[in-house]
Amino acid sequence: MATLIIDGQTVHAEEGQTILEVARENGIEIPTLCYHPLLETYGACRLCTVEVIRHGRSKLETACTHPAWDGLEIKTHSTDVNEVRKVILGLFLSRCPEVPIIQDLARQYGVTEPPFPPEDLEQKCILCGLCVRVCHELVKADVLNFSQRGIDRQVGPPFLEKTRQCIGCGACTIICPTGAIEIVLEEAAIYGAKPLGPTSAVWVPSMQAVPRVPVIDKDSCIHFRQLDRSEGEIVDACQACQMLCEADAINFDQQDEILELDVGTVIVATGFEMWDPHKLSQYSYGKSPNVITGLEFERLSNSAGISGGEILTAEGDKPERVAIIHCVGSRDHNAHEYCSRFCCMYSLKHAHLVRDKTDAEVYEFYMDMRTFGSGYEEFYERIQKEEGITMVRGRGASVEVLRDGKLRVKGEDADLGELVHVDVDMVVLSSAVEAPHDADQVGSMLGLSRKQDGFFAEAHPKLRPVETNTEGVFLAGAAQGPKDVPDTVGHAGAAASMALALLDKGEVTISPQVAVVDEKLCSACKTCLSLCPYTAISFIDEENVARVNEALCKGCGTCVAACPAGAITARHFTTEQIMAQIEGLFRLPETEEELVEAEVEGVGS
Amino acid sequence: MAEIRRANVMVCRSTGCEASDAVGVFDAMREEIKRRGLDSEIDVVQTGCRGFCAMGPVMDIYPGGIFYCQVQPADVPEIVEETLIKGRVVERLTYKDTETGEPIPIYEDIPFYNKQVRNVLRFCGKVDPQNIDEYIALGGYSALGHALFGMTPEEIIEEVKASGLRGRGGGGFPTGRKWEATRDAPGDVKYVVANGDEGDPGAFMDRSLMEADPHSILEGMIIGAYAIGAHEGFIYVRDEYPLAVKNLRIAIQQAKDYGLLGENILDSGFDFDVKIVRGAGAFVCGESSALMQSLEGKVGEPRPKHFHATERGLWDRPTCLNNVKSWANIPLIISAGADWFTSMGTEGSKGTNTFCLVGKIQNPGLIEVPMGITLREIIYDIGGGIPDGREFKAVQTGGPSGGCIPSDLLDLQVDFDRLTEAGSMMGSGAMVIMDDRTCMVDVARYFLDFLKEESCGKCTPCREGIKSMLTILNRIAEGHGEMADLDALGALAITVQSGSLCGLGKTAPNPVLSTLRYFRDEYVAHIEDHTCPAGVCKALIEYYIDAELCTGCGLCSRKCPQEAISGEKKEAHTIDLDLCIKCGVCFDVCRFDAVGMR
Repeated sequence: MATLIIDGQTVHAEEGQTILEVARENGIEIPTLCYHPLLETYGACRLCTVEVIRHGRSKLETACTHPAWDGLEIKTHSTDVNEVRKVILGLFLSRCPEVPIIQDLARQYGVTEPPFPPEDLEQKCILCGLCVRVCHELVKADVLNFSQRGIDRQVGPPFLEKTRQCIGCGACTIICPTGAIEIVLEEAAIYGAKPLGPTSAVWVPSMQAVPRVPVIDKDSCIHFRQLDRSEGEIVDACQACQMLCEADAINFDQQDEILELDVGTVIVATGFEMWDPHKLSQYSYGKSPNVITGLEFERLSNSAGISGGEILTAEGDKPERVAIIHCVGSRDHNAHEYCSRFCCMYSLKHAHLVRDKTDAEVYEFYMDMRTFGSGYEEFYERIQKEEGITMVRGRGASVEVLRDGKLRVKGEDADLGELVHVDVDMVVLSSAVEAPHDADQVGSMLGLSRKQDGFFAEAHPKLRPVETNTEGVFLAGAAQGPKDVPDTVGHAGAAASMALALLDKGEVTISPQVAVVDEKLCSACKTCLSLCPYTAISFIDEENVARVNEALCKGCGTCVAACPAGAITARHFTTEQIMAQIEGLFRLPETEEELVEAEVEGVGS
Repeated sequence: MAEIRRANVMVCRSTGCEASDAVGVFDAMREEIKRRGLDSEIDVVQTGCRGFCAMGPVMDIYPGGIFYCQVQPADVPEIVEETLIKGRVVERLTYKDTETGEPIPIYEDIPFYNKQVRNVLRFCGKVDPQNIDEYIALGGYSALGHALFGMTPEEIIEEVKASGLRGRGGGGFPTGRKWEATRDAPGDVKYVVANGDEGDPGAFMDRSLMEADPHSILEGMIIGAYAIGAHEGFIYVRDEYPLAVKNLRIAIQQAKDYGLLGENILDSGFDFDVKIVRGAGAFVCGESSALMQSLEGKVGEPRPKHFHATERGLWDRPTCLNNVKSWANIPLIISAGADWFTSMGTEGSKGTNTFCLVGKIQNPGLIEVPMGITLREIIYDIGGGIPDGREFKAVQTGGPSGGCIPSDLLDLQVDFDRLTEAGSMMGSGAMVIMDDRTCMVDVARYFLDFLKEESCGKCTPCREGIKSMLTILNRIAEGHGEMADLDALGALAITVQSGSLCGLGKTAPNPVLSTLRYFRDEYVAHIEDHTCPAGVCKALIEYYIDAELCTGCGLCSRKCPQEAISGEKKEAHTIDLDLCIKCGVCFDVCRFDAVGMR
């Protein structure tokens, strides 16, 4: 533990600390430009020069490199120090006259004009080397370094050529104090090639996330990308987040765990996916960046989105005219025949948002308006009356991309009985929703069947909306069919209650008429397994027999009939019992009394 | 069994003489000797630099010590005939006294040499650097033997300390203390390094030493490594010295073959090996921390030196870095003793030092003199004074890190401290002599320009500050300066000195500051009078023809590259100033002194 005096204040330093670190710990400000706590010190900008008095001799040294030895006396803002900083900042200002951080620092030291004629007004790089160091020490991509000597010194990749070594992580962009480095996307994302600011690979997905803790996106995280690219060679790239986390909460070695749980009930809440509008090419989705789906419009209008919530075309301008087309991909023999249910309401909402955020005219092409819920019709009336919104009752048939980039929407106005068209800047396709692409896999895993519209089949369309044919497996939300938020909440609540009720029972009462396998006769042909509509039969590998789960079996008898070995019987519905009933029915009456009973009773019960 | 021949012809084949075809002379001599059937009687030996470089190619002939200079291959048959066979002196090839013109055939009689004390340079010019036997025959490696078997490492360090040897690279740090600090530093692995990256313009002491006598450096390093406890050494040589690299390589191999280097040296149990590492064209790599970075294979940029290299040097291990000349002094100190060494020199600077005399001097070359000799003696007695009858104006010592010493300080004793007091420094030993036709503003510009090119560019004060100081000086030299510029120069100088990371930056303002100190009036003349008193700064001079002196011979007009001079035959000519590019040819050729400059 060393003791030293900084600006008259007595401070303590640990072994290996520098003057700058100790000063900052004690709230003493020393300006820096080329220093960063996570990187090796470099000592290039010289701005952190301080006066160090040792053994009675005073020297000017850089605080970021000088060790905090015992007995030193340090002056961070003496006249000599300030004079040196002033000249240095003047030199920086002459090199990069337009850089805000240099201008600010220079002004603090009384320099308002570059003291020497600047040679390049566009120059932003102060050769601090932070980008070189971060790329070498943390990212371990070694893309950037200095080349040339003296006044010709510059930073860049080897031979200043684009290199595949660069992983586009953006670390250099973030760490550059003057903004001299930009990241530019080479391919368009949603909207063109705009320079994007770097976002962190460690992020909280949204303010509504539960739990609201950061997660690491492995695809953009430098640590994982380098591990991957180097095939396991580079094991310690970056890890800056771990270095800084005071709670030591970051563990890069966490692996996905596969848990095996024995459960009594399963609730399927696998939701929906958006149908791909490329499939109906007349809407020109993908041919113009200004033809977007309703979900994409939601993203655009979200304040956490790419434009901060502003409604802008791909060119970055406010649209003057917007068209919204209902039923794209829904109610369509060439796509999905069903109605996607909630698009009408959000289309009305979108029309309202466009009016709210821009002055654009809105043309809404619809077939029928499905505003069925509480307050929905009232909302529809409000929108109809809103200025600037034109409701066109008639299918929006096609979108044509004109030469100047504008979009021509052609449709029918059924009220006028005419074909109409309107040229707009942006088209929002209220596109269909559909069952997820992997619904097959989920279904076969759980023994669920699917309806004609592709969504999972409920046990009864009217009376049993959340149950399935498989006992104990319930459906919640859009997995069963398109629905909006209130309906989803209701549906899911029902599924949860029924699941709980089942769990709560502890025991279930089942019908005694279930199938049973005579294991001595079972030939392990597995025919019964695939036939059971209730997935009640499983195959026991160790014993090489099929076995019926009596809780699931509904006694339908399909397996009984199908078993080639005759090994399965239906309890209380055996062949002998049926034969006995038949014989009973066809027995000739022996007495007068029996004849009367037989007539009254009718054919066997 | 070595053969003894009746005569030796020692031909200098160092880089300076080779540039004037010493190879041709050497080959011609060998051939002629052979042709005459004398090769069993006379040996032709290639040697290193004797220092009298303006007179090259040189040779001496023993016995007798006859010294011939400016020899050409065509002269060789005459030398063989007259001197080697008939024993006569070829007078036209001898050195001539500058005043009387009398020939001085014997080496020791030449004033350039007889005022010198050639200790470190004792073997330069006397041995074939590519033959270790000659070095040993003259006593080489006996100091090593004494050190390894007759002294302990501590005793060696004490002896070096007692000698008062100070670093000959220019910093002047007491060598013995540096060795002691390295020895005492914690750690088992230590290194010794020889700095052969001589970069000062006009300096060639290290080059000559490495080319002419590589073994003295090696011997010094082995002794030093033994004293310090290092087993690995490096010699960092600038790549622009291929002959030095070659001769060092040969020397190392030959030393290894004789068991003087490598494992178990001379059966003492001490292991030490040396590698050569070449520079790649950076003056900044002469700075110790940049040199070590370059040696490690990294970019040659200096590091902050809060921990001395003796504690944390190469690969963060204790390292003793000394200039090649410092290492070369060690065998002498060990053989002859510290007392002998302290018998020469001044109180604060013991022993001798080598200097390169360059610039406006009659006898440019490499010399070695005891510390404490005056500048006057060096420049006039040894250097032969200023040629062409001009006046001495100043001498620049210490290269781009040093400063200039004016004529009223000619009696200054040359040693580390006196030079520093006068605003200059010893540096590695280059002395650039200037006469009254040298403009001191231009000198400051020259050195700043050099440093601007050589700055590594890492730290702001050096990279941007030197450039800005140069901008101001250029303005002054072009006649656009203001008095406020001198204050600006001063302010910049302070920041560059105190804010820079390494010695290059820290000493960069020295030429400016020292010229300002002693020749401020010249700066003022440039600024206020728009003249350059020395007639150098082209923007501020103009040539004219004195009509009264001009005879109309037309010579200047014919020579003028711009055809700017016109006039009738036998009538006074005139110069058209719009066309004149101030090359000065007319000034130089006029036989009647009719062309003047103002």
